[in-house]
Amino acid sequence: MQKNLFITLGLIVVTVTGALAKKEPAVPALSTQKQLALVRVNVTGQSYDYFRPWQKKAPFSKRALGAVLSKARVLVTADLVSNQNYVELERAESGEKTAAKVQVIDYEANLALLEPTEKTFLDGITPLEITPDTVVGDRLAAWQLEPTGALLATEGLVTTVQMMPYPIDVGQFLTYRISIPMQYRENSYTVPLVKNNKLAGLLLRYDSRSQLLDAIPAPIITHFLKEAESQNYRGFPSAGFSFFPTRDPELRQFAGEKGKSDGVYVTNVEPNTPAMKAGLEVGDIVTAVANHEIDQNGNYVDPLYGKIEFTNLLTAHAYSGDVVPFRIQRSGKPMELKVTLEHRDAKDYVSPPYNLDQPPAYYVLGGLIFQEAPQRLVYLDHFQSELFPEGNRRVVILSQVLPANSTIGYDDLSYLTVTKVNGKEIKSLGDLAEAVKQPINGFIKIETEEDPKQIELDAAQVAAEAPNLQENYGISSLHRLD
Amino acid sequence: MKRLLILVCIAWLFGSPSYAQQNNPASSPVEPQAPLPAVPAKPSPPVQAVVPVPVPVGPRKPNGPVQKSLVRITATAVEPDYKAPWNAGGIQRGVGAGFVISGNRILTNAHVVANSRYLTVEREGDPNKYPATVQFVANDCDLALITVSAPDFFKNMLPLRFGEIPALESTVSAYGYPIGGERMSVTTGIVSRIDFQLYTHSSIDQHLAIQISAQINPGNSGGPVMQDGKVAGVAFQGYSGDVAQGVAYMIPTPVINRFLKDVSDGHYDKYVDLAISYSKLQNPAQRRFLGLKDDDRGVLVSTVVEAGPSASVLRPGDVLLTIDGHPIASDGNVELDGERADFQEVVERKFKGDSVKLDIWRDKQPTTVKIEFLKTAWPYLVQGHSYDVRPRYLLYGGLLFQPLNLDLLEAYRPTDLRLRHFFEYFILEQLYLQHPDVIVLTNILPDPINTYLAPYRGGIVDEINGKKIRTLDELASAFAETPEHFVIRMIGDGPPLVLDRNKVEAARERIKTRYNVLKEKNLEEQPASKSPQQANNI
Repeated sequence: MQKNLFITLGLIVVTVTGALAKKEPAVPALSTQKQLALVRVNVTGQSYDYFRPWQKKAPFSKRALGAVLSKARVLVTADLVSNQNYVELERAESGEKTAAKVQVIDYEANLALLEPTEKTFLDGITPLEITPDTVVGDRLAAWQLEPTGALLATEGLVTTVQMMPYPIDVGQFLTYRISIPMQYRENSYTVPLVKNNKLAGLLLRYDSRSQLLDAIPAPIITHFLKEAESQNYRGFPSAGFSFFPTRDPELRQFAGEKGKSDGVYVTNVEPNTPAMKAGLEVGDIVTAVANHEIDQNGNYVDPLYGKIEFTNLLTAHAYSGDVVPFRIQRSGKPMELKVTLEHRDAKDYVSPPYNLDQPPAYYVLGGLIFQEAPQRLVYLDHFQSELFPEGNRRVVILSQVLPANSTIGYDDLSYLTVTKVNGKEIKSLGDLAEAVKQPINGFIKIETEEDPKQIELDAAQVAAEAPNLQENYGISSLHRLD
Repeated sequence: MKRLLILVCIAWLFGSPSYAQQNNPASSPVEPQAPLPAVPAKPSPPVQAVVPVPVPVGPRKPNGPVQKSLVRITATAVEPDYKAPWNAGGIQRGVGAGFVISGNRILTNAHVVANSRYLTVEREGDPNKYPATVQFVANDCDLALITVSAPDFFKNMLPLRFGEIPALESTVSAYGYPIGGERMSVTTGIVSRIDFQLYTHSSIDQHLAIQISAQINPGNSGGPVMQDGKVAGVAFQGYSGDVAQGVAYMIPTPVINRFLKDVSDGHYDKYVDLAISYSKLQNPAQRRFLGLKDDDRGVLVSTVVEAGPSASVLRPGDVLLTIDGHPIASDGNVELDGERADFQEVVERKFKGDSVKLDIWRDKQPTTVKIEFLKTAWPYLVQGHSYDVRPRYLLYGGLLFQPLNLDLLEAYRPTDLRLRHFFEYFILEQLYLQHPDVIVLTNILPDPINTYLAPYRGGIVDEINGKKIRTLDELASAFAETPEHFVIRMIGDGPPLVLDRNKVEAARERIKTRYNVLKEKNLEEQPASKSPQQANNI
């Protein structure tokens, strides 16, 4: 889990002295800035209770910071505002508050833009510009607020720039790793990292033991902001294939590689993805992407960072809809493929990688609760493309049983994969909802992959018992489908 | 969770660290810190004895002189090394108890003598250590019979007799050598519970076991638990103090008697099993759907293991109504000797070659089937511990291939999801049909020919040069062929592992020498040592 820092509220802005009086400080001449480009963000939210999918959990509240950008927008992490009910902005120096709404959110890149309902709320604040050129060796300052509202700035060194997984693990994104001794302040999710009074990154996670901070870097933020300007936010693109290094000369020879021994070996191409549509095949060797040559480990030479994994070319550098040239070798024959990148939506997975701000679908049938398989079914989640190569379906499970007259003897069943209902194959909760309407001689027959393999209910009894079940267990509605 | 407890249990049973001193078999077990308390002096007789006062006597010894039956067993065992399977393995020493029964035999736990290479027994009041040999080991019910060839050993020993299952709350006494010590120790307690329990020695078998509140500790294993002068059970497992206290288990006499009967023909044939899973039939709607009467009778067959005796006799969806004439209740119980017990207890009492008659309900029609217990459902053995066998493996080009089993998992503790899935669902998903051996590339002995192959570690071999590999033998045959390259496909999306045969052949001796590999393969599950009788005659 992500480790977050916390800071408390404060009211006064003071200039920074002493601690930052180093050579080339990351926070120079702060006194020139009248109002810090920081606001407090107070979020109240509720997540859905997966085990009681008809209800939400008790409300939580989070207090964090937001970076004020141009056009009265406030940048925060998606993690802060996901499953939110109410977002409030608070001026650090005056304590003045206003409601805000989430304009755009990208759970995968972990970024969100807020806008205050009161348009003039951010007036007087000089927005942060963004500096995209941070490299290893640069010093960045983490901006937090003291309880008084004064700035707490901590300086750190960028040690690494590389591709790393973000909290929602759908591939890797460019990340800055910064060695920095952050101090705990009550409450903070979104700590901006600043270079020369310009925004260089946003805190992603911090490990207090190793004092290492991972930050969402400016190039990812810029990509997000650029796309947020368009009417229809699509998200970061992906190509949809897996690869393996070609360091092993036997593997290169097996793949029939000729000439320079570079590139990566394609191990899997997922169905209905840009890579498959472009004709990429398992066993191909990808030697260049977007005219950058790829080495045996899958790295290209970036002008800013040096060697970094080529997936950066498909995320930070490219947008959905872009056509990216791939140079490949197929059995030694050089070829060029045009890959039209697309964003892969969470709903396009058999087991969606996240389900935020969305009520979970469920179906209650006489005390049996059916749901679509969540990420927690680890094996299914991990091997979904292998288990369901055709994709385009869901896995429905009997997640739990609420004791009732119709479910006597079934009380201990849980996490069973539903294969058929009344003889019909089940590939989504919608299939199940349809199938239960056609009982066999008055019985609903549910077949499961695991023991007991079959469960039967009396359709009339289920219907008769439904009001009682709802009453007893406080189930507001017996089903919710997509 | 349950498995965790079991592991705690195992460590606790036998070969506690103080006894497991490798390479130092001569070291003595921990000595008690304080000398044994002296026997109180007899009260001096009264001087003026007018009326004869009865001399106070100690409490009656209800179990007789158990010292004359109890033996202390010291076992030196060689534990196979699954990470370097060509080596013999580590040497460990442990102490357990045993007791003399009829026919000059000593009964003890299988885990006391498992993997043993040298056994000695001692008896109370005799300074000699007598070499002993194993006659029969039943790893599935944690019992073993050993004997001593010294002619006079059994002369002054009293064979113990077996009693029945003791009543709940009745008092029992456990005898043995807890936490070492050379003198017999006695603890008492009551019978707390009689139920089916997992026997942790194999970690897959469940049999009747009796929970007692008598303290038993490492060194009690194999010792008798007595009541009214008869053996009520054999102490065998418990929990370490941080899991549960005052919970110890003994193997009850029905399990012991079955073992003794099984070996009476000169070999141990193991338990037989229907190798099915079943579900209770308590739901009225389900009963009506199946066309059953409302009579609380019958259980539903859910899975039939293909490799077991019920394959092609039973099928999922069948309802079992009676077993050998005993009606099966809808919760799976039958009435046996006036007690309710799981219907599989009927099968527990069977032997190899026996059969069982089942009245079943199939497609709303009654029918009768007979199941003969001729073959063992071997896939279960993969999920349990094995003893007294050498690990199977094949080393080729520095790549170590081993079949997946519980011992392998415990040696490597892999976190790989696919490996764990193959192990856990080996039977449930009938994975053994495609992969009788789940062949894992467990380790790589680095050499220039395999320097880039580290990412393949933990993979499961699927095919070589287009041919499916189902067993370790097939893997060996595949490598015995002479193509230019071996293209090894692992299960899943990974890239193929390609080996240049000539390079591997040239490297074989080099790798063997560098890593001191005595033998490049062991394909057969062979006994780890010569038969104990032979060993003793050397």
